[in-house]
Amino acid sequence: MAVLPGRIGNWLSLPVVAALFALCVAPLLILFAYSFFQVDFVAISREPTFANYAKIAGSETYRNLIARAFGSAMLVVAITAIIGYPVAWFIAKRVTTAKSTLLTLLLVPLYSGDLVRVFAWRVLLGAEGAINRTLMWLGVTTEPLAGLLFSPLATHIALTYNYLPFMVIGLWLAFESLDDAWIEAAADLGAPAVDRFRRVTLPLTVPGLIAGGLMVFVMVAGDYLTPQLLGGASGVTIISAVNDLFGTAFDWPLGSAIAWTMLAILMFCFGAGALAIRRATLVSDGA
Amino acid sequence: MYRRDLLKTTLAGAALGAFGPASRALAATDILWMTWENLAKDDYLAPFLAANDVSLTKTFIGTDDEQFAKLRAGGANSVDLITPGLDKVEFYTASDLLQPIDFDKVPNASLLYDTFKKTQLGKVNGETYGIPFYWGINPIVYRADLMDEEPDWSVFFEGDKYNGKLAMRDYALEGIMIAAMYLGIPESEMFDLDDAQLAEVKRVLMIQKSKLRTYWNSIGDLTNLFATGEVVCAFSWVPPYYDLRAKGIDMGMAKPKEGVIGWCDTIAVPKGVQGERLDATFKLVDYLLGPEYGKMLALGGPYAQSTSAARDMLSDEEQEKIFIKDLSIMDSFVWKKNPPRYNDWVALWNEVKAS
Repeated sequence: MAVLPGRIGNWLSLPVVAALFALCVAPLLILFAYSFFQVDFVAISREPTFANYAKIAGSETYRNLIARAFGSAMLVVAITAIIGYPVAWFIAKRVTTAKSTLLTLLLVPLYSGDLVRVFAWRVLLGAEGAINRTLMWLGVTTEPLAGLLFSPLATHIALTYNYLPFMVIGLWLAFESLDDAWIEAAADLGAPAVDRFRRVTLPLTVPGLIAGGLMVFVMVAGDYLTPQLLGGASGVTIISAVNDLFGTAFDWPLGSAIAWTMLAILMFCFGAGALAIRRATLVSDGA
Repeated sequence: MYRRDLLKTTLAGAALGAFGPASRALAATDILWMTWENLAKDDYLAPFLAANDVSLTKTFIGTDDEQFAKLRAGGANSVDLITPGLDKVEFYTASDLLQPIDFDKVPNASLLYDTFKKTQLGKVNGETYGIPFYWGINPIVYRADLMDEEPDWSVFFEGDKYNGKLAMRDYALEGIMIAAMYLGIPESEMFDLDDAQLAEVKRVLMIQKSKLRTYWNSIGDLTNLFATGEVVCAFSWVPPYYDLRAKGIDMGMAKPKEGVIGWCDTIAVPKGVQGERLDATFKLVDYLLGPEYGKMLALGGPYAQSTSAARDMLSDEEQEKIFIKDLSIMDSFVWKKNPPRYNDWVALWNEVKAS
């Protein structure tokens, strides 16, 4: 296959780069500029100020909501990693003929819309839902468990369900590229199963764990529909607060400042993740 | 098919596609109305379109705030008619987005109910920028089969009988208005709450939050919650009451004596609309305030127009349904206004929800 000379390739990529800049980077930069403005009723004052960032730092509400978003994201990453790890291992290492079928099945929930999934969970977790009816039929409870729906529990169950495929796919790729000879060599050298996992399998699949974890982390931190529709009175998120500021309050500058604070933290997480993947890859290359 | 034939067919199709809208535009003045979906049903507008050489493009809004954000972000040039809340017109006029209503071109406006003629909302220096269009109330709706007695606002703040079975709209303005009404703050002070009053409002809203099943964002969602029994009582809009009664559920609607939140949406014309489009837009405004549209809105909504144009065409029962049989009911309404410290209200509302 002929390879394009470097200069032609650069020119051909120009429209893509320009589109990315115009549609992705430029709006973010506009948002960044707005985060230093102030609002006076419906007028935006363009005198640069750090007041919005100071307001976020000084507000217990915004600090808590940001911490809650990242705490929730970390929790879902941990749960999806625990569930996804053996699933990915099974698909990559034990399934031979129906691998693509299993992977497709894994993605089936994503083909339905967010709202469909949320309402399906309501049917399952509601007072008259399947779980409560079963528990009452079995005599485990005498009345429906109210805490199953409209609670942080319901939110995290749905978030885990929604984003598990992204974790599994990241891990599956890592397992697919894991050479079994390493594990066999460790076994031949007398390493027990726990050590083989801890010192060979886990380090070699860490890049997949981090890649999947980052995807799940970002999506959970930015998901406000699921907490809003399943979290009940405590379902407020930092994203819904931003939504209120942009819509109801017409405080675009403060909304922009919160958005950029979130973005900065996410970029930091991505940077740390990329660094960790790089180090893990170097370790496995050197192994 | 040969490649040349395919090319001809494609070009012919493209030409038709290009000239189709143009020919329609030559035949009629096209006006674009940004509004709620339930106000622009085809059958509501068919008589107007049949009688006038006008075509209408509709674009639907999900919230009032979304509408303002679109116009504020530069969308005003492409829209001929918008549907802001009466309390929100001030946002648009302060942003210099609207032009005054030319009443000479809207004869049906003379039939506005007195409440709407007298209101200062939607006006600047005596000129009307948002003309009241349709109105209603946001009452308490409840499952009469699951509650012992008709509730009032105190059900959201006192007692524990219905803890975990209540719902409140996720909207700072109305949430704080309800807390203020419960606390007995008079309407004259309600929209100018001082720090002490806001602190008291926050205290009772925290109590309210502990009693709620959820905050609702969509009326369809709330209707589902009523139907499944997850929620037995909510600060609501009217539709779940009628929708679920039609399905055989015993629903109740309470209008607390401390005050009922009244709402009114207006129709307003963006500043850049002029010439034939402006004339056509005012024709549409006049139609929307007239009897044909009013009757269809009353029966199909069911919502009341801001004019009496269709009132005599409705039975007593139909009038009762949209609160126009006894117009004195409007005296007990607390009409929504835009508080000067609204950003503080939104911040307070978020503090309560995040607590």
